[in-house]
Amino acid sequence: MKKNTGKKDHFIDMSFEPTTIKNPLKMDDSIAANYRGYVTLDPNKDFILNDKIGKILENSCPTHAITYQKDDLKINLDNGKCILCGNCQVKSPELIKITNKFDLAKKRRDDLIETFSMSVPFGKTYDELGKELKNKIDKIFGRSLAIREIDAGSCNGCEIEINALNNPIYDIERYGITFVASPRHADILLVTGPPSKNMERALKIAYDSTPNPKLVIAVGACACSGGIFGNNYATTGGIDNIVPVNVYIPGCPPRPQALLYGILMAINKSGFA
Amino acid sequence: MNHKETTKKYYLELEKFDSDLKKLESNNELHLSLNDPYQLHDLCEFLKKNFELRLLSIICSDEQKLNGKFKIRHIFGSDVDDFFLFVISSIDSSHIYFPSIYDVFPSSILYEREINDMFGLIAKENPNIKPLILHDFPNDVFPLRKNFKLNNIVQGNLKQFEFTPITGEGVCEIPVGPIHAGIIEPGHFRFSVVGETIINLETRLGYTHKGIEKLAESMPINDVVFLSERISGDESVANSVAFCQAVEKIAQLTIPKKAQQIRLLFAELERIYNHFGTMGGILADIGFPYGASRLNILKEQMMQLNEKLSGSRILFGINQIGGVKANITDEMLTCIHYVLDDAFQTFEKTFDLLKSNSSVMDRLRNTGIIEKQTARDFGLVGISSRCIGIETDARHTHPYGYYPSINLKQKTPRETMEHQVELQKQIGDVLSRFMNRVNDLRQSKNIIDSITTMENDELSIQMNGELTPYSSGLGYTESHRGETLHWVMIGEHNSIFRYKIRTASFSNWPIIEHAVLNNIVADFPVINKSFDFSYSGNDL
Ligand code: SF4
Repeated sequence: MKKNTGKKDHFIDMSFEPTTIKNPLKMDDSIAANYRGYVTLDPNKDFILNDKIGKILENSCPTHAITYQKDDLKINLDNGKCILCGNCQVKSPELIKITNKFDLAKKRRDDLIETFSMSVPFGKTYDELGKELKNKIDKIFGRSLAIREIDAGSCNGCEIEINALNNPIYDIERYGITFVASPRHADILLVTGPPSKNMERALKIAYDSTPNPKLVIAVGACACSGGIFGNNYATTGGIDNIVPVNVYIPGCPPRPQALLYGILMAINKSGFA
Repeated sequence: MNHKETTKKYYLELEKFDSDLKKLESNNELHLSLNDPYQLHDLCEFLKKNFELRLLSIICSDEQKLNGKFKIRHIFGSDVDDFFLFVISSIDSSHIYFPSIYDVFPSSILYEREINDMFGLIAKENPNIKPLILHDFPNDVFPLRKNFKLNNIVQGNLKQFEFTPITGEGVCEIPVGPIHAGIIEPGHFRFSVVGETIINLETRLGYTHKGIEKLAESMPINDVVFLSERISGDESVANSVAFCQAVEKIAQLTIPKKAQQIRLLFAELERIYNHFGTMGGILADIGFPYGASRLNILKEQMMQLNEKLSGSRILFGINQIGGVKANITDEMLTCIHYVLDDAFQTFEKTFDLLKSNSSVMDRLRNTGIIEKQTARDFGLVGISSRCIGIETDARHTHPYGYYPSINLKQKTPRETMEHQVELQKQIGDVLSRFMNRVNDLRQSKNIIDSITTMENDELSIQMNGELTPYSSGLGYTESHRGETLHWVMIGEHNSIFRYKIRTASFSNWPIIEHAVLNNIVADFPVINKSFDFSYSGNDL
């Protein structure tokens, strides 16, 4: 076999050996902007879902990929059924966008269904977050994550929401999270309050008695910065002035979903993974 | 009787004590200025003998800038008439003592300790003048004096605090807190036990002290509304309404009917979601998770309703001075009725089940009993007082806002009598507090049900111009814990000169030390929960 020396030959090489040409069309791997990749539910800021739009969308789809749930004001879009005709986008461009992306493959059939609901317009639902969290906890912590809550002088608003995580609606235990009675049993400290001076010592002791590796999550505006109480003679202006903080969850108070999201982020960020 | 006649009645009596006292009337308040602070003790004895008055609060303020003196205002209130009595004494700043009235009104002990901490004035005869609110603070730091700046960094010799030692054969001490096992606020409990039985309890609170009263003095008056919501997160409506009412009183604003109505609706919704929560807590503490779960679901249902109505699950951001920010339309009102009907159906079913469950009733009955006299001495309010048959309810005795306009079904004489008998039967245990919560819930539902259409006017009106410097006003509401008082004194340029908050928790906390006596340690959580104290509302 003749070796390609890279030298320019005066004679034309007439052999019929296979040759490959790099990039014969002289194009990069980009996808046309108007390629119909898949349909997503990406509402404009002021989009409001009502009965009328819901019905129109449902009827616009030739393969019935779109369903409208009247009672909870929800639109479900099954990408497994969608043939990318674009009808729906014509009917409601405020909600439906066709992207030119293709990264849609999912391991489970159900995951191909996308939902838009008026009450959770952006982001993930509590359940989706919880499931994600559970997977992580299964892997990293051997199925159970222990949290110790410490109130370092909050107004008790944040406690109401943390307590709500334990009620039968949010039931955080089903994702493998338990609130424990002692910092010595905890992986995570969930701290609220602008830490008051009077709680400073107790907070330090609790932090020191938590075994390593540990994570600290500051919950609420108070814990993040001192909140409305700021830094005065009786407060210290944020948990991170007392103990190191891994994740900040703002809000006054943050709702249960936000708490779950923050816990998830703490685990993702941690060196545990 | 209108305000004028009521005040007159008291006025005439008081003249018998000393006709020289300077007296000032306004609305339902009568202000007496004492010439000599040491008259106070005699006056209190006179009050005790002649009237049925309760000590509501003792307010100190540093008015050295104005007249070189500290002013101490003792506020008394009646549980029958719509009447408040302010007794004002001036303390020279060179003389740091003021008379204690603990032997006439024992509830004064806590207020006097508070004044000692925050102003450095000493109630001479008070036998228990330990630090109350400031823990790791130096001895010579008095945050509420005007020469103390909000951001002062405090250094120096620290205050000492010692628990009263209880000794004897077989007496053990159990220290608990400040961080507790559950998801609750911080506080320290020092139990002395013999075997399982608690023979003494000393509480130490103040861990959540955030300097709210001092902070308010440096904030624009409209922002203080946000601060007042955060005195205790679950009492946000009650506290912010009390603050707004105090300022509106000073500004002589009459807020629109609709705003009053919305305040009332949110106040009652707040009561409902919290009572569900507390009752759930009580059941959790006695190990009856089925009931606890049921009630917690109801609480969550109410909190979701809160969010739909106001944008906040715990009703933050509703009030402003001059009215409200959150609207309730007629459709929303229908929605409220609908959700409440649904929730109360479940509630009544759950309640029936609880009543017929002997293991629940057994744990609640005869647990954590309080005495009527002790309750009177400490000036308990709200459920904690009603559980022993003392009726205190600011909504009835001092009707405010929209409460006078709602017309509930009048009680027939027979029902009134039955009610009186019912009151006599209250024995002050956990069960009677539980049952009183049920009554309170039903009453709240009736109040909300009685509103069928929303008034048709504005949400708020503007406060114009500057408020008169150094004028003051008292705002009061009934939170789900009981009577809540906010006293505001305006400074120059619409600033706040002094903001004194007295939540129901502050009045009610001392009773826990008595309620647990002769109970076993394991019953402490349920007794504590049955009173439903707020730590943050106490420590400020
Ligand atoms: S962040 Fe808000 S709700 Fe949480 S403790 Fe602070 S003031 Fe209360």
